[in-house]
Amino acid sequence: MGRSGEDVPEGTNSPSHNEKTGELAIPEEDRQRANLYGLLARVLAEPMGDETLEVVRALEGQSDENELGAAFATLGTVAVRTPRGVAEEEFSALFYGDGSGGEILPYASYYLTGFLLEKPLAKLRGDMAVLGIKNSGISKEPEDHIAYLCEIMHGLITGAFNEPASLETQQKFFETHMAPWVGRFFSELEGAESASLYMPVGTIGRLFMAIEAKAFEMAA
Amino acid sequence: MTKIKKSRRDFLKAAGITGGAAGVAAVALASKPVKAAVPESGKSSGYQETEHVKKYYELARF
Repeated sequence: MGRSGEDVPEGTNSPSHNEKTGELAIPEEDRQRANLYGLLARVLAEPMGDETLEVVRALEGQSDENELGAAFATLGTVAVRTPRGVAEEEFSALFYGDGSGGEILPYASYYLTGFLLEKPLAKLRGDMAVLGIKNSGISKEPEDHIAYLCEIMHGLITGAFNEPASLETQQKFFETHMAPWVGRFFSELEGAESASLYMPVGTIGRLFMAIEAKAFEMAA
Repeated sequence: MTKIKKSRRDFLKAAGITGGAAGVAAVALASKPVKAAVPESGKSSGYQETEHVKKYYELARF
């Protein structure tokens, strides 16, 4: 934290130029957006572990006046009565199934074309290259997996990849790669037969994506 | 411009993005990213027509 960024102009509204001040320059609501993307990436990439379950269980009984907060409280309530093993089974049933794919296929290509590894994935890879983002290889999933896209949004907002991306860049990525299908995906997750713990996760995602779409419209 | 920014911010706050249960859980869980997506090695902001990038386009064109 030795750098004060004195050569960065004060009061700038363009985070992409605040290389040295980094995350400190990101407004609170944008940091929180990034956090929500981070949360979704985490719970959609892998089954909830003990640590994650502990965090969400603490949400039980939280009273919130808005829909999003209420969905988090529901997640807490369900998590309290869901042991880790059951959470893992649910995740498998939803996303892996019995070796033949789960109930839900969380990929942009599937939602947009009906097939896996299609053009939307190719377009995404091209855009990732332009943004300077690559696949770390720790996930076997293709990049158009929902968790992957949420992680990219998280990184664009926080500057995890390069420097914080402008709202315009975030909007373009969101509207190209997520907006056309994520509402449908989260709704289906919310209503999936195997979904118990992931029912409120679906609600949270559906609400958050709608909030994002509207907020981007306001910024445009 | 600032007016638009403010209304967007107000909208996000009113929607429950900040604070409350959403805030608590998201902060706690976002602190450990999945790291499936990482920056290209080295300095790479913006578009660079490198071999690496060209390779991406080749791979992407199927």
